[in-house]
Amino acid sequence: MNDTIVRLTARQLFGQKRTLFIALLVAIPVLFAILFRLNSENTDAMDWVTNVLFVRVLVGSLLPFVALIFGTAALGTEFEDGTAVYLLSKPVPRWKIVASKLVVAWAATALFVLVASVVSAPIALQGSGVDGSSMVTGFIVAEVVAAFAYCAVFLALSILTAHALLVGLLYVFIWEAVLTRLFSGLKYLSIREYSVALAHWIGAIPNVIIDPQVSGATAAVLLVVISVGSVGLAVRWLGRWQIGETA
Amino acid sequence: MSQRAEAAGSIYDLGYRHYDGVRLGRRQSFLSLYAYSLRGAFGLGRRTTSKVIPVAVVLLAAAPTLAQLAIAAISPVDARIIEPANYFDFVQVTLAIFCAAVAPELFARDQRMRTLPLYFARGLRRDDYTIAKLAALATALLFITLLPQLVLFIGNGLAGSDLAGYAKDHWMELPQVVVSGVIVAVFFACISAAIGSQTPRRAYSTVAIIAVLILTSVVAAVIADTVGGVTLKIVVLLVPFEAATGVIRWIFNASVARETNLGKSGLDLWICFPAVLTVTAITAWLTFRRFRRLDV
Repeated sequence: MNDTIVRLTARQLFGQKRTLFIALLVAIPVLFAILFRLNSENTDAMDWVTNVLFVRVLVGSLLPFVALIFGTAALGTEFEDGTAVYLLSKPVPRWKIVASKLVVAWAATALFVLVASVVSAPIALQGSGVDGSSMVTGFIVAEVVAAFAYCAVFLALSILTAHALLVGLLYVFIWEAVLTRLFSGLKYLSIREYSVALAHWIGAIPNVIIDPQVSGATAAVLLVVISVGSVGLAVRWLGRWQIGETA
Repeated sequence: MSQRAEAAGSIYDLGYRHYDGVRLGRRQSFLSLYAYSLRGAFGLGRRTTSKVIPVAVVLLAAAPTLAQLAIAAISPVDARIIEPANYFDFVQVTLAIFCAAVAPELFARDQRMRTLPLYFARGLRRDDYTIAKLAALATALLFITLLPQLVLFIGNGLAGSDLAGYAKDHWMELPQVVVSGVIVAVFFACISAAIGSQTPRRAYSTVAIIAVLILTSVVAAVIADTVGGVTLKIVVLLVPFEAATGVIRWIFNASVARETNLGKSGLDLWICFPAVLTVTAITAWLTFRRFRRLDV
């Protein structure tokens, strides 16, 4: 890792407008939790927090979306602005550049999603008499791990194509959200499904509440494989990148 | 060479060529800008990589039609799984992604490349520019909101043994398909244009368009499950996917299923129509305002 790249990328990613926008996104689940507390006489809090708050909103929409924004921006803006030339002509090994960019994107994604989870889940569970601590821990671990996998995939994608954001959107909102529902076999090829399975495994969530198709151990292995594979490809692709090649 | 000799009264003759042909004027520049933008929406005239995403997304939007026609071709019974009234349910996410891909391309590219002064220095007025771009985006969206359904309509007719009978039974669907397709295309074009024109950065507007079109529908779904009541009614009218669905169902005179967000809201469907018109008008106005005020 390279301190200077980390520092510059962090300053780039936490630009005022972007941070404000993501803070608004983070406010959505918190708002949901408050609304739920105000109107939850006959709903099971544990079930709602697991299935709606975590599976649908946080893991299902917010995490991939935020990871997509940071993952493609970390290196992608350098290509778009033409500053990649200055970065790549420095005597820094390509793997260090990838690692630095990835760490910042991951930290940013994990930070925002963690804040959203840690604030919203207790609000929704509060007063319901349910002990959801293991479930919440499970999801938080899963979110942090999945954030790394998503960021790695999107970072690699941003080296490969200038349209990484759009390809990523198709993956998140068509592949993971629609196609896996129509063809359930595709759940073996979806980071979202892995994170739910991982949360289910670590958080010891009963099968009545969520019943993932992939087992927890398999999901963990697949997440590691995807992360390592994406980082490897990113380093390889960045090594072969040539000026003027941003397709 | 003769041109050069004719250039009279110059201190130093730079050799610029004069244009002596017909000047086609504002109307022609409007039409060229429209045609050029429409081609640009699908990456025509650009490199291959710019064509991949729009074409892939349009094909994705046609997938339900192709699936239905495949079923109709194989199965002997008249099985209509995909009705025109619910075609939008299958393509709404695809439509949103197409908007996010194309609107920044049409509305932000000239700001990013600083080519706007070149347009505005011509006969083309600022509002003409906006109208041409909006029209091009709406036309491009028709490839998703209208074309697959027209193909489906014709295909369904041809798949049955009795073409004349089919046309007689379903002729009313044709104007409904066309009207709803046009309304949805204009609605989504104006929303994404209002967002896409605000910033020269492609990535920002793509993300913002997705947030407004797709993430709001997640909000609607959660509100429907937890709060309901008046809040849900207001949310449904403001969320583009829900409002558009409402208008389409209203045009087709179809009911909404109880378990959908729209069904849970208990809203009269016709209210969605003025809501959609209002949002369209406001977002169109925002787009016009942006280009009127922009310093170039």
